[in-house]
Amino acid sequence: MKNILKYSKVLLVAGCLLAFNNSCTNLDEELYSTVTFDNFFKSDEEFIAALGAAYSSLIGLMGNHNTTWSAQEVSSDELMIPQRGGDWYDGGQWLRMYRHEYLPTEDAFNNSWGDLFKGVSACNRLIEQFSAITGDKAAAAKAFIAELRAIRALDYYLLLDMFGNVPIVTSFKTADAAPATQSRAAVYAFVEKELTESLPDITSEVTGATYARMTKWAVNGLLAKLYINAERYTGTAQWDKAITASDAIINSGKYSLEDNFFNNFRTDNAGSKENIFAIPYDKVFAQGFNLPMMTLHYESQKTFNLTEQPWNGYCSVEEFYNSFDANDSRKRSFLAGPQFNSAGKQLTDAGAEASDPDGAGLNFTPAINEHYPNCLRQAGVRIGKFEFASGATRDLSNDFPILRLSDIMLIKAEALFRKNAGDATALALVNQIRNRAGATPLTSLSADVLLAERGREMFAEGWRRQDLIRFGKYAAARKWKPADAKPCLDIFPIPTAQINANKNLKQNPCY
Amino acid sequence: MIMNRLFASLLKGTVVLLLMLGVQSFSFAQRTVTGTVKEAGTGEALIGATVLVKGTTHGTITDIDGHFTLDVPAGNDVLEISYTGFGTEEVTIGNSNTVDVSLTAGKALEEVVVTGYGSQRRKEVTSAVTSIKAEDFNKGAITSPAQLLQGKVPGLIIAKPNGDPNGGFSIRLRGLSTIGGNTEPLIIVDGVPGASLSSVDPNDIESMDVLKDGSAAAIYGTRGSNGVILITTKKGIEGKTTIEYSGIASSESLARTPDVMTAAEYKAVGGKDQGASTDWFKTITRSAIQHQHNLALSGGAKGLAYRAAFNFKDVPGVLINSGFKQLNGRLNLTQKALNNKLTVGLDIAATNRNQQNAFNDAFKYATIFNPTAPVLDSKNVTNGGYFEPGGFDYYNPLAIVKQNQSSGVLNTLLSTIHGEYEIFKGLKYSLSYTLGRNNGGGGTDNAFSETYISKQSAYGTGVGRNGLASRQTSNAKNDYLSSTLSYLFKFSNVEFSALAGYDYQKFTYDGFGLQGGNFLTNAFTNNNIGASQDFPRGLGNVYSYKNSNKLIAFFGRLNANLNDTWFASASVRREGSSRFGANNKWGVFPAVSAGVNLSRLLDISGLDNLKLRVGYGVTGANISQDYLSQFQYGPTGNFYYNGNYVPTYGPISNPNPDLKWERKGETNVGVDFGFGGYKITGSVDYFHRNINDLLYNFQVPVPPNAFNRTWANVGKLNSSGLEALVSLNNLKLGGLKWTPSVNATFYLDNTLVSLSKGDLKFGSGGYVDLADVGSPGLNNFYMIRVQEGGKIGQITGPQYTGVDAAGNPTYKDFNGDGKGTTDDKTVLGNGLPTMTLGFNNNFTLGRWSLNAFLRGAFGHSLVNQFRIFYENRNAGSIQSYNRINTRLAVPAVKNAAFSSLYVEKGDFMRLDNMQLGYNLPVKGVFNRAFIYLAGNNLFTITKYTGVDPEVRFGDSEDNNNPLSPGIDRRSNYITTRAFSLGVNLGF
Repeated sequence: MKNILKYSKVLLVAGCLLAFNNSCTNLDEELYSTVTFDNFFKSDEEFIAALGAAYSSLIGLMGNHNTTWSAQEVSSDELMIPQRGGDWYDGGQWLRMYRHEYLPTEDAFNNSWGDLFKGVSACNRLIEQFSAITGDKAAAAKAFIAELRAIRALDYYLLLDMFGNVPIVTSFKTADAAPATQSRAAVYAFVEKELTESLPDITSEVTGATYARMTKWAVNGLLAKLYINAERYTGTAQWDKAITASDAIINSGKYSLEDNFFNNFRTDNAGSKENIFAIPYDKVFAQGFNLPMMTLHYESQKTFNLTEQPWNGYCSVEEFYNSFDANDSRKRSFLAGPQFNSAGKQLTDAGAEASDPDGAGLNFTPAINEHYPNCLRQAGVRIGKFEFASGATRDLSNDFPILRLSDIMLIKAEALFRKNAGDATALALVNQIRNRAGATPLTSLSADVLLAERGREMFAEGWRRQDLIRFGKYAAARKWKPADAKPCLDIFPIPTAQINANKNLKQNPCY
Repeated sequence: MIMNRLFASLLKGTVVLLLMLGVQSFSFAQRTVTGTVKEAGTGEALIGATVLVKGTTHGTITDIDGHFTLDVPAGNDVLEISYTGFGTEEVTIGNSNTVDVSLTAGKALEEVVVTGYGSQRRKEVTSAVTSIKAEDFNKGAITSPAQLLQGKVPGLIIAKPNGDPNGGFSIRLRGLSTIGGNTEPLIIVDGVPGASLSSVDPNDIESMDVLKDGSAAAIYGTRGSNGVILITTKKGIEGKTTIEYSGIASSESLARTPDVMTAAEYKAVGGKDQGASTDWFKTITRSAIQHQHNLALSGGAKGLAYRAAFNFKDVPGVLINSGFKQLNGRLNLTQKALNNKLTVGLDIAATNRNQQNAFNDAFKYATIFNPTAPVLDSKNVTNGGYFEPGGFDYYNPLAIVKQNQSSGVLNTLLSTIHGEYEIFKGLKYSLSYTLGRNNGGGGTDNAFSETYISKQSAYGTGVGRNGLASRQTSNAKNDYLSSTLSYLFKFSNVEFSALAGYDYQKFTYDGFGLQGGNFLTNAFTNNNIGASQDFPRGLGNVYSYKNSNKLIAFFGRLNANLNDTWFASASVRREGSSRFGANNKWGVFPAVSAGVNLSRLLDISGLDNLKLRVGYGVTGANISQDYLSQFQYGPTGNFYYNGNYVPTYGPISNPNPDLKWERKGETNVGVDFGFGGYKITGSVDYFHRNINDLLYNFQVPVPPNAFNRTWANVGKLNSSGLEALVSLNNLKLGGLKWTPSVNATFYLDNTLVSLSKGDLKFGSGGYVDLADVGSPGLNNFYMIRVQEGGKIGQITGPQYTGVDAAGNPTYKDFNGDGKGTTDDKTVLGNGLPTMTLGFNNNFTLGRWSLNAFLRGAFGHSLVNQFRIFYENRNAGSIQSYNRINTRLAVPAVKNAAFSSLYVEKGDFMRLDNMQLGYNLPVKGVFNRAFIYLAGNNLFTITKYTGVDPEVRFGDSEDNNNPLSPGIDRRSNYITTRAFSLGVNLGF
């Protein structure tokens, strides 16, 4: 019987053997257009490509709708996405974000968490791989490791700022299957340690080769931003440390203020002397900076000859716009007033509401008639700080500055001011920034003045929420927003999807 | 020793079989037999009954008077006479040269049922198998094999809620039984699994057999869970040379358009008057005249039997610039040799199809475009003279279909060589090899498609991109090798049929595509993409891919028949797939079933047949994509390194070495019956399915995982249902004969018992929300809630209670916070039907025949997207879009929102097709001439206010996600109605 079965089997398979040789019982997968983990990391080029994965996770952070930048900005007092009739309700996420009624289920939080931890995971994996390198390449590997620790610290800095209490994971191969929440103080200490420890091995060179990569100066910039907010993160202020870190950059002589503020935001802003660390977006190679889509009106396509029709979403808050003096050149950070096509003819909006007092001629008015549901489609001035190149696609080539010299100068000024409200250096630093913008110099500083100055200088760069929190203004009532119902809303909720996937995550208080 | 010799001779047989084409068989002395085939009782002639010399393909068919003439080779004295619905009779002719046979209507017990790797007689079948013969197929303007079965098989729903001539059908057997795999039944064409439906012309199909339950489908292992549809094409009959022609011409038009406002109505509610009056649906559609032709030659002699067919279709769609032309050729040929011990055959089918793909969005914009807008605006040079006022998501519908073009070419080839050698009486070895080429759905087409968006087109970023061309090809290759040993033997008074087999199948897919814009002129369209300025500027896109997967299986089956009274069957398949994880490469899929014909044990007058059946079988559903178990790396963008952008690589999937098939265990209990001389026949089946190891793509934390989603086998789904089919055969009403036949399916249960395990959780509170309402303004608003412990397909949302002074809808409070908001969600309906009905009526009166088929589905709800977005009276929106104006409209509602207000019952009953035919009296060269008038989708009884109440099995805006049925989306090619005139001629 056994033989019969055996021969039957041989007979049945015989036909296959004639046709397909030896693959008749082999079920291994054949890969053609992807590679497996096991057959990667064979050449130097593959190593570099792997290193890039640590940086490419930053692409999502600042330029995309519905992730980190959107959450940081719409929860602040400088930008909003009103509901424009049938447009932009989107489940109420952006109304809640502005009114500080956000829920753990908001997509923006989960997207942001995903982007940041993807970066953490890539860094962990690469640190382990570079750590295994010995011999002649060990020195080069050491510098790479320092660089990777700094990138990971940037990811963790943003996690610390937004979500506060998050798991700290530093290994790839031996990572806990469900890493547990750590306190905000522990995350703070981790970021500080990583940045400090990476400083000795990281490059201090500032050249084309180190552009958009972590350098000694970028690490100091992150330290400055960490320390200036330390009181909010840990309860203990670190003004002196903030000054030291800022001074390291200011005194390095590597950076200087651009004469023209807008040079930092041009399509070709890679040469800016002021930008310390930027995300190097590109319309071809590094796609994802979608600002024209996010802020411009449908008809604005014809102003900039855009390849796609914009979405008519983000606009600035009227009171924020009004905080700019008329003679402050930074007021050109907004697109306001009548809008024209590229030939200079005013645009008309076929969808203009009958109730729009300006009629169908496209006109971005600072006044916003209501937050929801029937904000006029043309209401609100738009973000014009970054140049929109004529003929741009949805993906801008402008690099997005994460760390900029004027930010560092204002941090130093603020730290000096916190220690001594009458500090002359602080006033001088602020006036240096104002002079560049053609604004009238100040004669004295106050907390409100500093906050407003930071707003004018740093508009739409993703830092407004933490500035408001630091100055104690985040929870306050504003137009279209009541005062915060609870005191702990200055930390975002842990996204529901993440809690579902990891039982050891703890939801933040308030949610 | 014996086995060794046997093996050697078998191998010889194999080689012989592979080389055998062209070998002539012996010729025989023969005699001529004539006779008549009539219906028992009435004595009326049966036209087109098949008469075969038993055990051969040699035979003929009866003419209009039921007569036949057949040359019977010496040594053969048994004829097999069969007629659909009347069963098969065997007649021993002895020395007589005339034979008269009477067949009984409804007695189909001897009919052959194809069961996969073989066939059984109907009386022996112990599982749930429905067999539909060509005579019972749907009538009229049929362009796809799937249409032939629509509504005919209990438990099988075939739905196409659109009129796109290039659109596909959703096919669902016994409800949803997989969520992470392919949801459609396995299609088998002449024994080839995974063959493309487009390789078969509807005119060439002899029968379709549907293996419904687990005990029938388990022989197909990892692909059996959604059932199996076996298509058998027509074969030639040796000795009977025929030429058949059939032709049909049809006129197609829109069945129903959305209730939009006319220019006058629109102005009355405050719409902006743009000075004209345009019916946009009329503007973009036409009355489409299609024609189809089929020519078939068949015959054979001396062991050779062949059938060759050639098919042509020209099917324009009702939407301007949509439709297809298709050529198909097929040759089925068999040759017997070596004293009829060896049969070698060749099946070749090739299809060439040229499509003009529809821009379905034209229907969406025809609904919302201002009815007072003119079509043209000669001053608008930018948009080529079309009226384009701008605005968000708002384009001139006629400009879309006139300015732009999208076309495709599909070439399919399915070629099989097969041989069978009888080693000794009862033992047969067969071997077949198939090469198929094609695309999509695991089948085999070379697909090629291209789209060009004009420089002047406001739609599709034509103006913004300054013209946009894209082109892509995708190829699929299907290598299939199958060998079986079958053995028929008798032990005591039990007849056994045993089968052992081996299958090897490899699918290889590759594709290439590119897209670029910025052209100086529209002149080239897609034909010179190199002229695109996007490529030198780095803005063009290019891609290519290749992937493959393999299935290997060993299988066996044993059928037993005791005295035509007791029946049993057992099968097992051990199958592996390259898609499975390293730890689970092979699965085992067993099945058993048994039956007893009580009418042979009971002496009850009038009881002709009463067979009880019970079966249990285990089947699988394979993972839907290649490589999901692997830790894959792929390009993840670029980064700036040393002043240049260099590519980065990162993880694109997590490894899961445990990944495997979804496993379904199904119990089926059924009864087949026939009473009163087979006047009443039918069957009833109850099924219960337990599906385990459901596949789902879970969100997982990063880190520790490298990628944020992992495919895993987790979860459990239960479903059950009841199917019934009853026919009354040939009721006499004077000279009129009426055969009504009803089939009904009751879907009793379809519950997602769980979809989580350990850390892999299925949403907080055990649910996830799917089917986003969408843009404008209703993103992050979900219509479907998939809940553990709940039914599949639950439409979930706020319960509308009224409208406030500001025009906002108000909702019922469910969460007890005293406020009714959009967070107060409840189940508003279910997208899946609880019952389906098919009702066929066949009337004959002399030479006249009338067939009418009604089809219905009940218990399903639909979310009417057009109403959600465009029925409210928001002043801003009225300025922007035309309004829907159904009887359900609440004019006080000013704002778009999703609630129960837009969830409607989809119950419907439809006169799906009707055909009135006449058999012309013929003589001379003609042996048949039949002319008919037919109509498709003649009327629909429904309360649904949308265009088509047909079941939507998946969300068309979410890859047809089977977890979110019941969403009537906006970009839908509107359903059509057709009237046809046809003729069938036989020579």
